[in-house]
Amino acid sequence: MSLLDRRLLVTAGKGGVGRSTISAALAVAAASRGKRVLVCEINTQERIAGLLGARDTGSTIGRVAHGVDAVVVRPDEAMRQYGLMKLRFRAVYDAVFENPFVSRFLQFIPSLPELVMLGKVLFHVKEGKWDLVILDAPATGHGITFLGVPQALLDTIPPGAMRAEAEWMRDLLRDPASTAVNLVCLPEELPVNETLELASATTRRLGMALGHVYLNRFVDPRFSPEERSAFRPSTADAPLDAAFRAAAAQATRAEMSARYRLRLEGELKLSVTPLPHLHPAGAFDRACIDELARHMAET
Amino acid sequence: MTRPSPSLDLDYALRERRVLVCVGAGGVGKTTVAATLALRAAAEGRRAMVLTIDPARRLANALGLERLGNVETSVDLARLRDAGVDPKGELFATMLDLQRSWDDFIASHVPPGQREALMRNRFYQTLSSALAGSQEYIATERLYEIHSRGEYDLLVLDTPPTSHALDFLDAPRRILDFLDQGSLRAVAGPALAAGRLGLKLMTLGGSVVGKALSRLTGTETLEELTAFMLEIQGTYGVFKDRAAKVKALFSSDDAAFVLVTSAHAANVDEAIFFHQRLVDEGIPVAGVVANRVHPDFLDGAPTPTAEELAAALATGGFADPGRPRLSERLAVTLEESRAIAGSDRRSLERLARGTRPSPLREVPRFDSDLYDLPGLWEMGRHLLQRG
Repeated sequence: MSLLDRRLLVTAGKGGVGRSTISAALAVAAASRGKRVLVCEINTQERIAGLLGARDTGSTIGRVAHGVDAVVVRPDEAMRQYGLMKLRFRAVYDAVFENPFVSRFLQFIPSLPELVMLGKVLFHVKEGKWDLVILDAPATGHGITFLGVPQALLDTIPPGAMRAEAEWMRDLLRDPASTAVNLVCLPEELPVNETLELASATTRRLGMALGHVYLNRFVDPRFSPEERSAFRPSTADAPLDAAFRAAAAQATRAEMSARYRLRLEGELKLSVTPLPHLHPAGAFDRACIDELARHMAET
Repeated sequence: MTRPSPSLDLDYALRERRVLVCVGAGGVGKTTVAATLALRAAAEGRRAMVLTIDPARRLANALGLERLGNVETSVDLARLRDAGVDPKGELFATMLDLQRSWDDFIASHVPPGQREALMRNRFYQTLSSALAGSQEYIATERLYEIHSRGEYDLLVLDTPPTSHALDFLDAPRRILDFLDQGSLRAVAGPALAAGRLGLKLMTLGGSVVGKALSRLTGTETLEELTAFMLEIQGTYGVFKDRAAKVKALFSSDDAAFVLVTSAHAANVDEAIFFHQRLVDEGIPVAGVVANRVHPDFLDGAPTPTAEELAAALATGGFADPGRPRLSERLAVTLEESRAIAGSDRRSLERLARGTRPSPLREVPRFDSDLYDLPGLWEMGRHLLQRG
């Protein structure tokens, strides 16, 4: 089945590889096929709205592009919404949440903040207002912990309200027809190693299905081997010297791009989608996101 | 509000300080910077140790760290001689096993008898692994422990990969808040004061609050948590005492922080914010390191056109083959490389303004990964004045 026919796509990867960029571009690609999309960021500095050239939405769902809504999920806000759902009477709710000690206490019940944040995202998947929810997950280690919270609770806590919540959440995450995890990677040693570990943790530890690997900042070869051998700096001409050095760096990046793409394809047996390294003269903006979205749509 | 002392920089800190803490967001190269600083101090004659959390496999191999579990390993510096360096001191490395560190900590501070029940409690597993801040807390705890043994001249701590650099400073407060009985007493009240285990829902405050809470979390979860709190109650004083000592060490003349960032705009914003926080807390900053900076190959000179490059190729006796021609492809490549270098330059100017007067060091982006001792040595040339 096609990636974009899933209900929930998780964007996972090491810190600094461009997870938000990929989430934003994927949202635009899905919206261009007529999907109604919601992108959820988890308790972080808001980035998706800015990348799409929209004003920040904060923790209220807001429109950030044609067909794309976004929201930042915060623990206190998610906890309040969960509380209102479970404690149907306003007076009871107020007694709990307006008590400063209790609000603090709730934050310290292990895994409860993660559970309610993940619960909010998955609630939006079930709700049916959106065709596709994109979860911009926390960086690797934290991301695995985050997605593993339902199972961790099922392993440790006695029956009760939290357990019932954890059960349906775990099942939705593990349903390959609904959910897939996309991995974002760079053509460099550390991110590739971490992607391989992340892939194994996703399938083995979380029991979740993998989608695509997006190989971000991919560089195509531009110079032939004969040309490369001529790139010897220290010619008499300073600008030519600089051009040779820039070209040698480009050639190294292209060589790494090809090598790491092969390694990922060989070890993961997944579709690896290269996304070009863009060089905007100004800021990395909406036009860049649209270009990446076009590359995603082509594959 | 303390200001960083003007004479404090990385060179000075490597000679004079006893603890260096490398902080920064995940994915900026903290581990490599920490390893490089320890290596340089060792080469200069100190007995230095790098404490790292989860080093990349090749870096671990370079340091000879095959074993987990808090083992302090001596690093063979012989390979530096190949690079023409004659090391005068000793380098050690240890990989922090966070779970084991928690267990050791509990074992040395909780009396036997109480200890076993505590370590069996499911919430202990959460405290020691999943609770936000627990890794950061135990890393500083372990640093403090090794520091107080006094066997090393310099300890360099590579902090855990947090999404926010600030998590590191907030960790002790979060753990203390978690262990503080205040919030629990508000809910469990008399039952906790009486020290009774196995609370029933009725005693759980018996209040509308207690009942509502148990509807949110399940009764048994709340009971079990309460039991855990009772078991760990005795350690609160220990935690508080250690947190205070660590804070005192970090603000003292024995220690300094190194703030590591990339030139990426989001990282730079966070680094500036974090730097202010360090200054506000009176923590000395030995340096701000901007890692993986894209160099401007033209040093600010104007970008040549394809025609100018074609002429230069001809003058230098090079052919200009292909379609598009080599000169045209060179011009595009140079332009792309300058776009990135220019964007890094703007970020770094902002970083320099935002972290004044802490010394800023730039490390260029290397085309290949540096994960051997000579590679780390090379990085050191950019970190230190003496090169």
